[in-house]
Amino acid sequence: MVNALDPQNINSFSEASVSVEIETEDMTLNIGPQHPSTHGVLRLVAKVDGEKVHDVKPVLGYMHRGYEKLAEVRTYPQITTLVNRIDWVAGFSNEIPFITGAERLMEIEVPERAKHIRLILTEMARISSHFVFNGAYALEVGALTPIFYAMEDRERVLDLIESVTGGRFHPNFNRIGGVKPAAGAGPTTKKDIQDLPAGFYRDTKVAMQKVIEAADQFQNLIGGNEVFKKRTKNVGVLTAETAEAFGVSGPILRASGVKSDLRTQTDYLPYDQFEYDIPVGENGDCYDRWDVRVKEMVESAKIVLQAIDSMPSGPLQAKVPKVIKVPKGRTYVRAENPKGEMGYYIVSDGGLGPYRLKVRTASFSNISILPNMLEGALLPDLIAIMGSLDFVLGDVDR
Amino acid sequence: MEEFFNKIKESFTDATLEFETITIKVDSTEWIETHQNLRDQFNLKFFSWLSAIDWDNEVSVGEAPKESVSPSFEIITCLSDLANTNLIIVSTSIVKSDPKIKSLVEIYAGANWHEREAFEMFGINFENHPNLEKLYLPDGYEGNPMLKSFELISREVKPWPGEVDVEGMPEESESDKSEDG
Repeated sequence: MVNALDPQNINSFSEASVSVEIETEDMTLNIGPQHPSTHGVLRLVAKVDGEKVHDVKPVLGYMHRGYEKLAEVRTYPQITTLVNRIDWVAGFSNEIPFITGAERLMEIEVPERAKHIRLILTEMARISSHFVFNGAYALEVGALTPIFYAMEDRERVLDLIESVTGGRFHPNFNRIGGVKPAAGAGPTTKKDIQDLPAGFYRDTKVAMQKVIEAADQFQNLIGGNEVFKKRTKNVGVLTAETAEAFGVSGPILRASGVKSDLRTQTDYLPYDQFEYDIPVGENGDCYDRWDVRVKEMVESAKIVLQAIDSMPSGPLQAKVPKVIKVPKGRTYVRAENPKGEMGYYIVSDGGLGPYRLKVRTASFSNISILPNMLEGALLPDLIAIMGSLDFVLGDVDR
Repeated sequence: MEEFFNKIKESFTDATLEFETITIKVDSTEWIETHQNLRDQFNLKFFSWLSAIDWDNEVSVGEAPKESVSPSFEIITCLSDLANTNLIIVSTSIVKSDPKIKSLVEIYAGANWHEREAFEMFGINFENHPNLEKLYLPDGYEGNPMLKSFELISREVKPWPGEVDVEGMPEESESDKSEDG
């Protein structure tokens, strides 16, 4: 053993050149299923080489409730209760494509007033979903404050949804042929029951103005933050071609520069009567995905304000048979939900329930791109990229 | 939609347009070529979903088909063109005794998870799939839950009072009254 402190040896040590190759082994990193940034119970198994992530494997199924199977043993009115719980952050918008599909097969014409109420509540669900995203995403990249503002502002919107439907998250408000008679209305006569609660228009105008202000506030508070910009700009860039091949839709796709919005492109609700912009991103990075959603909140608030100004009068329900049987046929109805394209493929055999109901959810396809996007990403960016996809596990696992 | 339907009809003569949904039926041997063609010639680049239907006359849950069907798996994909809002449903049929079909992952990368789901739920084998393993179900789970023959255990233990619910919906009885007078 050579004594390094011995002055006789020091010469020779300093002359020796040191070249050591550090062999690092890949480390397997398990994230979730109970990680707070996984929006439920997503589990990621990633290989980590130093700070670089590769071979990411999402493990699904912790929230799998088998809705497609359950739908086969339920009647059409019962299924709306189930589909509410698919994307629980925006429960109302899940009902729309399913109900529209059943109505299309039954060839029922829905009254204009019911369509407008559906549209208003869908847009409110979108706003509340984007509020959650704003708060949660800022939290995930290290800013604690925005979630307190976001949750408070969201509550204002949820109160409105509750005043009409009676439920904050799971309204179960749509009926085949129209909407349920609103809760909270005057109890005196049948006519009064079948309408929006007193003061709804006034409260909505106030709340929507607040939403527009809140979006502006987020642009300063989150978007103007240098740390947030550094964490999100040019991080997790997604090209339009890859996004399309993976079926990625909604704000993520628009952030990659594709101007596709099913609200204008299909006619499931009367969006063509209103004027609004479709925000589109340029780079397809995390910042753009955040930016598109904040701008969408403003547009949704504009749509709601226009819709309550032009609310038609009339009945809330079309005439439907007592026992709902959907004639034999198939249809696919898709809708622009807060998280992307949601659709129901209904295969009816003329019975009380569908023979097969395929539920196409946005988050499922949206996170199927995760292994692709996270390949070679830095470990600290992993949460930033994952959070920017804004998924909910109920929407992934169904 | 009409315009696109006419264009599709030139290549696929048996295409149907029902309830605002365009459907084409192809032979399972032409599965890959059809999708390649639809992606490149018709610009249907957006892969929406893939799933299957179990057609069977004997069911353990739900209602059996009213007319007799030949037992088979129907595999369905949904493709769309985002710029022009075109959408198409592609359907094919495979036999139940040897349920296999070529994987679409090469053409649409997004088919990967959808095929894994159909694999575990129906037991359909997707040939050339890079990673055909269970997606949702736990390791060691036996059976394919979406098969019509698969029993829903909770329903076996306690029958669902579905009929009662159908009769008792309040707004249905209201609309019924208004119909009467």
